[in-house]
Amino acid sequence: MLNKKNYIAVLVMALVLILSISVMAETRVVEHAMGKTEIEGTPQRVVTLYQGASDAAHALDIPLVGIVESWVEKPVYKYLRDDLSDVKQVGLETQPNLEEISKLNPDLIIASKMRHEDIYNLLSQIAPTVMEENVFRYRETVKLMGKAAGREEKAAEVLNNWDQRVADFREKIEAKMGEKWPIEVAVLNFRADHARIYYSGYAGRILNELGFERPEDHKKDTWGVKLTSKESIPEMNAEAFFIFMSDDQAVENTYQEWTEHPLWQNLDAVQNEQVFRVDQVAWNMAGGIESAHIMLDQLYEHFELEE
Amino acid sequence: MLKNSKISRELILIFGLILLAGLIFILSLSFGSSYISPVTVISHFLGLEAGSYNFTINILRLPRTLMAFLVGAALSVSGLILQANIKNPLASPDIIGITGGASAGAITYLSFFSADYGIAGLPFAAILGAAVVSALIYFLAWQKGVSSIRLVLIGIGIAAAVDALVTMIIVFSPISTTVQSYVWLTGSIYGTNWEDLFQFLPWVIIFIPLAFAFYKSLNLLALGDKVAAALGLNIQLNRFLLITISVALAGSAVAYAGGVAFIGLIAPHIARKMGGKSYSILIIYSVLSGGMIFMAADLLARTAFLPLDLPAGVFVSGIGAPFFIYLLYRNRNQF
Amino acid sequence: MTYILRNQKAKMNMLLFLTFLLITAAVFSLAVGQHFVSLTSVYRAIFSFDQQSTRHLIIRSTRLSRTVIALAAGGSLAVAGALMQALTGNPLAAPGIFGLNSGAVFLLVIAATFFGVTSMELSIWLAFFGSMLAGLLVYFIASLGRSGLSSLKMILAGAAVTALFHSFTQGLLVINQESLESVLFWLSGSTAGRDLEMIMPLLSFILGAIILALILAKDINILLIGEEMAAGLGQKTIIIKLLLGLSIVILAGSSVAAAGAISFIGLVVPHISRFFVGNNYHWLIIYSFIIGAVLLLIADIAARIIIMPQEVPIGVMTAFMGAPFFVYIVRRGFKVNA
Repeated sequence: MLNKKNYIAVLVMALVLILSISVMAETRVVEHAMGKTEIEGTPQRVVTLYQGASDAAHALDIPLVGIVESWVEKPVYKYLRDDLSDVKQVGLETQPNLEEISKLNPDLIIASKMRHEDIYNLLSQIAPTVMEENVFRYRETVKLMGKAAGREEKAAEVLNNWDQRVADFREKIEAKMGEKWPIEVAVLNFRADHARIYYSGYAGRILNELGFERPEDHKKDTWGVKLTSKESIPEMNAEAFFIFMSDDQAVENTYQEWTEHPLWQNLDAVQNEQVFRVDQVAWNMAGGIESAHIMLDQLYEHFELEE
Repeated sequence: MLKNSKISRELILIFGLILLAGLIFILSLSFGSSYISPVTVISHFLGLEAGSYNFTINILRLPRTLMAFLVGAALSVSGLILQANIKNPLASPDIIGITGGASAGAITYLSFFSADYGIAGLPFAAILGAAVVSALIYFLAWQKGVSSIRLVLIGIGIAAAVDALVTMIIVFSPISTTVQSYVWLTGSIYGTNWEDLFQFLPWVIIFIPLAFAFYKSLNLLALGDKVAAALGLNIQLNRFLLITISVALAGSAVAYAGGVAFIGLIAPHIARKMGGKSYSILIIYSVLSGGMIFMAADLLARTAFLPLDLPAGVFVSGIGAPFFIYLLYRNRNQF
Repeated sequence: MTYILRNQKAKMNMLLFLTFLLITAAVFSLAVGQHFVSLTSVYRAIFSFDQQSTRHLIIRSTRLSRTVIALAAGGSLAVAGALMQALTGNPLAAPGIFGLNSGAVFLLVIAATFFGVTSMELSIWLAFFGSMLAGLLVYFIASLGRSGLSSLKMILAGAAVTALFHSFTQGLLVINQESLESVLFWLSGSTAGRDLEMIMPLLSFILGAIILALILAKDINILLIGEEMAAGLGQKTIIIKLLLGLSIVILAGSSVAAAGAISFIGLVVPHISRFFVGNNYHWLIIYSFIIGAVLLLIADIAARIIIMPQEVPIGVMTAFMGAPFFVYIVRRGFKVNA
């Protein structure tokens, strides 16, 4: 018998059904380095626990409520400072403060398996958590965050933009260098008491994407090598060098010492006068898509190409 | 008559320590990134807070605080046993290389295997490391038996070699794990969850009561090898078993809390200062004082420099090292 | 006494042989590395230097400085160890076990963290004073109490001071994680990266301290007979001990400043020397210096080759080489007066 009360009840149930179907349609399952996580809707309170993720969040316009401290230019890198200086600091990338994160009441946490594997369970209890495998995979980070934060279109756009610039760079530099392309480059770093060659990792990947060659010995799958003796200088050899380091007197001194050594003078890059100082934030510390753009800007400038 | 008053004095002391430990426990649950008043903490446990603090207290602070207590207790008892065996009030699991062995095992795992096998295997690597190094020290100290002095000296030597090994592993580790390794070496219970606690619990539940069961042997050993032997104690057997217990406790504690130093040294001394003579009482005092110290150290570590969450080991060392020197001063006439 | 060279002539001959060994080791140190240089090139690099030749440049700059450092550090550590063993009457005395290394690192980390100091020249002086500080502290703590300096007390005081400085260092490094990277190489010892000019002053200190030690050799021999005897014979033991302490700290401190934390050379070498010439400090000091220099040179050469292009930190190398020997000494129960 359909009296008024029953009719209303049925309507209400139908409404609830429709609403829940639409909500369910908004729930998605994201696969990531630590498994699968269910995320509902479009997160509005996101916490990022590694540099590259904070960078990507900025690129994707994701609303951030918590970030971790930067490695240098603390607490936020200069290139992100204008927009992110108001976001709450939750501690170090290597050891973010769980209580601080929980206090922020986030609805999504982006972290890295490499750093935060052991707190995955705890993080998941605070909010849905997705983890990238590493901290320097700028493309994967953008994709993952796009999916997790419900901004897949924007993510595709960002990556497309990057790909276009990469293609443009490759075209322009090949046009300019002609037969000399591809150039062999090495990524070097000087510290207060030793020097480093970076093999793969952030800068290496970007350089590979852009078509640069690497010396045979530098094509290994490890992060790189620490050199303590100036005798190892020949290991660095390549046609061009990109060097980054901290703004520190001791580091400068070491750099001077090493570059005054006769073995340094014998290197190809030095003789070709292709030794470039570059910004350590964009080339090593930030590890994100936007810093990748900055790195690309610097390369355009160095090779005097126009976009 | 005299006996009764002594026993009740010790009982009063134990009761007092339990109260103090309870206080530190409540305070640990109160302080953090957000302050929850002690009264609220208590009413939370009575179920009166409608679950609003469930996450902060039950999930974040409670397992961590309990872990701090248990780790402190385990290290303390481990140190107590060693000091009785080595008859030297300055012996501890760190000085003679047990901690070093566990660290070597853990750091090796962290640097080279954790990427492939996940971080869950770390505790086992640490315990294995402690066992291997301790066995080595014991074996090398054996010359028709193990004398206390030889054990200490060889322990110090092996500890130096193991430290060199750990240093080398850190220098050559992939840079992503260097900082992590160093923090681990300092001693930290950051990120402790209930799973970790339940994994560590069996070690404590088995080996501390086991140590307690040996209190008579400990009392005898403390009198000196010759006297103990004269009184009929099988020195080598007891020494071996007791050191095994000590290694199990220290090794497992280090496995879950990193290379914490000094608790195995300080806490037994505090226990002794309270006047206990029999090791049955001393063990209880050690459990309580060791547990309290580490709880307090962790509390400081995670609140003193907010939002940074520092390793508790730093604060234990900061207090422990000067105390160690003070002990040397106090004991200067006893060597 | 159980040593093997019984007369003056034998000792001299052995000394000549050891000196020859030292020169050979030094030459190899100049020849071996990432670029293996032939011995003729080494000869030419020293005596008819050619600026254009890369090989000559390598030899003259990096190889020469590290050879000199290894030689000086090895020798001074060995002598420091011999002197410590005499001073404490303890066969297990050595600079590394006495907290001198950790004192140096501690001062370096403090300077880096609070004063932003990371320059190499300044670091050398900081390391020097840091180890002096630690040495004084250990000496002071170990001599408290009725029995004065006893074996066990010195070792435990050393362990205590090492632990003290180590824990403070740890605390600072954990808060300021970037400085960790730069201190790591100091912590484990390194003969690379320091120019000859920088360490010249240290070399003169070392020379001075060794001369002092040789002057004191006679008094050391007397001291070893026993303190009461020595006092009875008119020796002013306090002054002797003080001068010995000074010499030790200068030697050990200079070594840490030049080459970072290296352990076991100071412990092991005096015993090797004693095997040859017994406990006569006139000979023992010289033998120790040469044998110490040879051993550290060998260790440095090995450290360079094993994992090219990287290097094993030399402090790690000596720990691995020295620990078995240390255990052996403990088990044998060597006495200094044996």
